[in-house]
Amino acid sequence: MSPPALENYLIVGAILFALGLVGFITRRNMIILFLCAEMMVLAVAVNLTAFARYHGNLGGQVLTLFILTVAACEAAIALVLVLMLYRKKHTLDVSVWQELREPDQEPIEDEEPLPPEPPPPTWPHLPPSGPEPEHELEETSHV
Amino acid sequence: MSDPAPILWLIPALPLAAAIACGLAAFAYADFKRYSHWPCVVGIAAAFLFALVALVIVFRRDGAAAVLTYFPWFQAGNVDVGLSLRADGLTAVMLVMITFISTLIAIFSIGYMHGDPGYPRFFAEFSLFVFFMTGLVLANNFIVLYACWEGVGLCSYLLIGFWFARPSAAAAARKAFLVTRLGDIGLFLGILVLWAYHPERSLEFHQIFRPAVIQHYASEGVLLPACLLIFVGCVGKSAQFPLHVWLPDAMEGPTPVSALIHAATMVTAGVYLVARCMPLFGQEELALLVVASIGCFTALLAASIAVTQTDLKRVLAYSTVSQLGYMFLALGCGVRSERLAVFAVTAAIFHLFTHAFFKALLFLAAGSVMHAMGDVIDMRRFGGLRKVLPTTHWTFLCGAGALSGFPLLSGFWSKDDILAANYAASHGTGGGAYMLLFVVAMTTAGITAFYTARAYFMTFHGPQRLPPEAHGHAHESPPVMTWPLMILAGGALLVGIVLGPTGLFERFLERYWMKGGFPASISPEHAGGHFSFVVMLLSTVLALAGIGLAYWMYVKAPGMAPLLAYRIKGLYQASRSKFYFDEIYGATVVGPANAAAHVLRVFDQYILDGLVDLIGSLPSAVGYVLRPAQNGLVQFYALLMVLGLSGFVVAVLLR
Repeated sequence: MSPPALENYLIVGAILFALGLVGFITRRNMIILFLCAEMMVLAVAVNLTAFARYHGNLGGQVLTLFILTVAACEAAIALVLVLMLYRKKHTLDVSVWQELREPDQEPIEDEEPLPPEPPPPTWPHLPPSGPEPEHELEETSHV
Repeated sequence: MSDPAPILWLIPALPLAAAIACGLAAFAYADFKRYSHWPCVVGIAAAFLFALVALVIVFRRDGAAAVLTYFPWFQAGNVDVGLSLRADGLTAVMLVMITFISTLIAIFSIGYMHGDPGYPRFFAEFSLFVFFMTGLVLANNFIVLYACWEGVGLCSYLLIGFWFARPSAAAAARKAFLVTRLGDIGLFLGILVLWAYHPERSLEFHQIFRPAVIQHYASEGVLLPACLLIFVGCVGKSAQFPLHVWLPDAMEGPTPVSALIHAATMVTAGVYLVARCMPLFGQEELALLVVASIGCFTALLAASIAVTQTDLKRVLAYSTVSQLGYMFLALGCGVRSERLAVFAVTAAIFHLFTHAFFKALLFLAAGSVMHAMGDVIDMRRFGGLRKVLPTTHWTFLCGAGALSGFPLLSGFWSKDDILAANYAASHGTGGGAYMLLFVVAMTTAGITAFYTARAYFMTFHGPQRLPPEAHGHAHESPPVMTWPLMILAGGALLVGIVLGPTGLFERFLERYWMKGGFPASISPEHAGGHFSFVVMLLSTVLALAGIGLAYWMYVKAPGMAPLLAYRIKGLYQASRSKFYFDEIYGATVVGPANAAAHVLRVFDQYILDGLVDLIGSLPSAVGYVLRPAQNGLVQFYALLMVLGLSGFVVAVLLR
């Protein structure tokens, strides 16, 4: 049985890339954006391995190893950045960072804003456990 | 004792050091600024002492000029310019005169400039001027001379515009600089001609003034152009006829400056240079005739303008122009015989020497009048000041007497020498032109006496009138101002009679300058003998007649002057408005130049600037088009990238 043709791998890579691209352009959650970008990178990696096999050398695979290493570093840095941005605005919506546009440009109204985040759950406030310490009532009411 | 000649460099160096010290004092505390005249006075006085040493050097050398090349200044191709100084009789006379007068005027300025906000600046520029002027007369080559020539022009500019906040002073300074600059172009071209045709490409005086070299110039046919070009420079610097318009306006500067630069020293640089180049001029009779005619015409022109001026300083300024004309007339009279040349040049330098004394005196006295009158200098607004300003009155009288050629005062002797030289030149072949010049010079002598006496009588005689600016407490100037006046008055009275009829000056110049400096040998016996009793008598009569006429018109019959002015209205108006020279130059030179400047300004502002602005606006226009892309949406950026990439891919595929 002959190995699958090169086109099959390339088609898989193209599909992956297109999915990542469409996801990157249409989504607005920063983490999803990041994942989409990763997907595009990996589509390229698939292509590289396919070409490596097609040409019968290891150049493409070595490059893929590099891509994976870089992607790991990227992931660490990108997630930290996303975290920092989240701390500023308390949302992952990338469109709230529109204010980084050119100063004299009009903002673009968001026609379908994300639903507001649910308020953080309010946990009941519990007193410290254990018996009440001994104290002299007279001395505390000297006001 | 070893030869003291190497100390010559100290003469310009001391005033330069003083200039630097005064300049630094300008940055000192206000309390300290009051003492900033000290470096100037001490430096120039020391320079005077060294000038006397230079005189001794000249005596000891007995006619051989001391030439010292300190170091090569610059070398480029054929040009080899050394910083070389020279001491001979002419230099020594000029040095002593310059430093002596400068010292006195510096002392006078202590009183005159007292309390001026630019006090240190004044003394710095004053010392700098003395540096350049002494350098000018000490120079032994044309490049050093030219550098100092421009240096004195610069100082003249700075000092005329000393009160630069006054528009008239700024305009006068600019005018003086530009007009003299016209002449300087001629001088520079003359120097280039001398250099280009010199067999050894030398610019040193002793290399150029050799008989063989002069013969070479003459055979190449460049002697006359070179002389005339150099004379153009002298015309500019010494304010002679076509370029005389700057000197009267230069009176906008402080009066001590007028006395030093625009009467006694700088304006005589032209006379000095022609005298220095006499070996060249002497070989070219046409050049001499041009010099004499320009000088004589200027003398008459300026004198006839001075007659009607009412500004005391302007009268003196025009008289300076007129007297400089006399000096050029004398220089131009050295035709045909070596003896006459010696006599004529001596007469010119002698007049230069005496003129420095009495003209500096007159200006300082006018300054003293201004000081007392609250800066009013219009003679119609004051009068009868002889009781108010007794010292100024007597010293002014000495100066005026000397200027008008009153017998036995210094101007009498020197002017008489000039007239005698002119008279002698009018004999023999081709003397007709000189006879005409002689008649004009004689007439001018009479006019000179008249306007000098007029200024004196209008200022110091008649009913006492004081302008309101004097604030009712017009008083004699402080001793620091009157002492220089008295010393100069002594000079104006005695210099002539001590040096003139005794022949001291003449013999000195002849022995210590011309014997070594002139190409042809001069007969060892006394070169004079052009003394003419008739000329002396005639000039005396004319001088006394001029003084008498002024006395009659301005003291005895004060109504006469306006009546006469009314009778010869056209002539009076022409003289009053300086024969419209400023207007003519304004219409023919200044106006078109201004119009051209205006056109060029419009061209620059709208076309050149527009072009540059257009190029500058391109990036911002591109930015304006592309700016909406930066809308802050990450997805939009990604979309643009994708579109760009697809465009790129399509382009690659369709290629």
